[in-house]
Amino acid sequence: MQSVDLAWLIPVLPLVAAVVIGLLGKKMKQGGGYIAIGASAVSFVLSLLIVVSVLDGSFDAADGIVDGVYEQSGTWISLTSTYKFEIGIYIDQLTALMLMVVSIVSTLVIIYSIAYMGDEGGRKRRYYTEISLFVGVMLGLVLANNYLEMFIFWELVGLCSYLLIGFWHHKPSAASAAKKAFIVTRVGDIMFMIGIIILFTTFKTLNFRDLFSMEVSGSDLGLLTLATFFIFGGAIGKSAQFPLHDWLPDAMEGPTTVSALIHAATMVKAGVYLVARSFPLFVQTPETLMVVAIIGGVTAFMAATMALNSPNIKRVLAYSTISQLGYMMLALGAGGYLFFSAMGSEGYTSSMFHLMNHAFFKALLFLCAGSVIHAVGTEDMRLMGGLGKTMKLTSFTMLIGALSISGIPPFSGFWSKDEVLAVVWNAGSLSWVFVLLYVLGIATAFMTAFYMFRLWFMTFKGEPGEASQHAHESPKIMTVPLVILSVFAAASFLVLFVGDGFGGTVFFEESHALQAGEMLMETFTDPLTYVSIIVAVSGLGLAYLVYYKKRISSDVFVSTQATRSLYSLLIKRYGFTAGYDAFAEKIVYGFSLIIDWIDQKVIDGIVNGISFVLATAGDYVRRIQTGHVQSYATFIIAGIAVILVLLYLLGGFR
Amino acid sequence: MIPIEYFLALSAILFSLGAYGALTRRNTIVVLMSIEIMLNAANINFVAFSSFFNDVRGQVFALFSIAIAAAEVAVGLAILLNLLKTRETIDLEDIHILRW
Repeated sequence: MQSVDLAWLIPVLPLVAAVVIGLLGKKMKQGGGYIAIGASAVSFVLSLLIVVSVLDGSFDAADGIVDGVYEQSGTWISLTSTYKFEIGIYIDQLTALMLMVVSIVSTLVIIYSIAYMGDEGGRKRRYYTEISLFVGVMLGLVLANNYLEMFIFWELVGLCSYLLIGFWHHKPSAASAAKKAFIVTRVGDIMFMIGIIILFTTFKTLNFRDLFSMEVSGSDLGLLTLATFFIFGGAIGKSAQFPLHDWLPDAMEGPTTVSALIHAATMVKAGVYLVARSFPLFVQTPETLMVVAIIGGVTAFMAATMALNSPNIKRVLAYSTISQLGYMMLALGAGGYLFFSAMGSEGYTSSMFHLMNHAFFKALLFLCAGSVIHAVGTEDMRLMGGLGKTMKLTSFTMLIGALSISGIPPFSGFWSKDEVLAVVWNAGSLSWVFVLLYVLGIATAFMTAFYMFRLWFMTFKGEPGEASQHAHESPKIMTVPLVILSVFAAASFLVLFVGDGFGGTVFFEESHALQAGEMLMETFTDPLTYVSIIVAVSGLGLAYLVYYKKRISSDVFVSTQATRSLYSLLIKRYGFTAGYDAFAEKIVYGFSLIIDWIDQKVIDGIVNGISFVLATAGDYVRRIQTGHVQSYATFIIAGIAVILVLLYLLGGFR
Repeated sequence: MIPIEYFLALSAILFSLGAYGALTRRNTIVVLMSIEIMLNAANINFVAFSSFFNDVRGQVFALFSIAIAAAEVAVGLAILLNLLKTRETIDLEDIHILRW
């Protein structure tokens, strides 16, 4: 029995758990939470087996592997012999990586939930049902072997996100945030669907293997560009990229565990995963790759600026998530552009590396924030402070997460962020756009270090705020996942030095296998590395001076008219929220009114007119029908007589 | 040998009489009887053609037709009886519920 043969069980187990908890959870301990943990833990073990087989090389030698891909599929709908839809699983190194990341983070988050959601009473059953459903469909999304199947799971994770953001639906803000997340991502989903339809009508298949091995040329290439563009539109929505980023900060209305799992570590990665999965298509369309890179870079920068002054601990993390996702998109765009110009495919590897590291440190940061919120009962950082004394473990693990995301060596975030920036810099030799994006990336790195340490100092250092008076360390069941995740957040870079390194395992077309020594040499002889270290350290230093030493008063940011208006612009999220509301109120509502008028007057008018004519005609015609059998018989006989006469006259009897 | 046209003429006259009766009489029993006349007009045709073509199948059909007419009368009279019981009339002018 090979480990990959059991892969289909990975999404099925959490789905079964969701059904079981949904039906029987009321009678179970913790609303079925232990079943949810069990199912995702078994999925984790199965994913781990696949990852181990990838690492020890037995995956490449296993039965059923063709071109490094394991695929099992069955026909779902057969339209004709050429048009058919499949359901199946598709495993390569990228899938293995995602399976691993998703299942480990979900398991830890659900364990953490036992304590965090402990006071929810009867609602726990719903929570564990929805979160198990989410884990199942997310793993299904990762395993899908064609775009249609992926799209179905894509919508299902969106549904779970909606349900869980609105978990406390009695709060109006949570209910409207859930709706916002659902509707805004739907814009992207429609684009994704358009992309799928273009692919299907052009290439007659949605199977990944068939699509990726296709030689595209001529007019099909134009259609492929369009298709990749629209598919990227789906990724924009799901991964909260500019200009559809506005739902993610509001999504923080959900429980912190949900933010950690769905809106930091897994679902929002689906967009990046989609682009990475479609990479063989994207690298044929440089125009789309340019769009990917620009959107990624702009998003990274913009989201980081909004994180600078948000007073809400979770919102800062949400902006930071958007920003880091922007980095991944930037790396994919720039890396694909480099590959198109035959200059290597490191961008793909570095993006996936950043994805993995980010999943760990961002889940850690969110869970730490959850631990803090659990202790102080507020999300406003201005009311916190001095928590470092009472919550030693949380503050320490959060420090590791913050160091990692800020890119301070040797924590894992440093390695991946450095690689991402290096790829963008290399792409700079192809176009000036990438030089600009590199500058944005460096500025983002500076801001990342600043806002993360602003958050950390405001929360854990300084005078105790009014909310932190009675704070206490969280229970063990919450801190143990924090410790495990902090180990990953600090040390996941070690995969660079195991065997062929990360680049020798997760790569596109060309392996980037490097020995540990070569890797170190390459990193630390590159002047760019020192640039990123310097900006990270200076960002950290600035935060230290402002929010710890208070050498520089934070009032300096609101002292002049110009900075004050900038400050309020950032708090207003560049007006996107208001802009979307105005757009919806004026344009969408106005358009709806026009449509409503057409519906009421024109469409209904036609329908009513037809029925009026028929009813009036019926009023007259019904008088023929007297109910007297004899008059009916008269008509019948007269009719037959007429037919006979006509037949005679027309010569029908001859 | 009587020519076939005589039979056909008789049959046509009988059929027309029957049809006239069925369409005009108000008493339902008379209407039923008129229908019997129309059926027998058809039977005459069967027998006449059977003899004309020297084919026995026409007579077989005539017998069938008579048997069916008997069954039909049984059913028809039963309906009329019920009609009389429930509505106390068998006048066709009064029975006009067969409309919307």
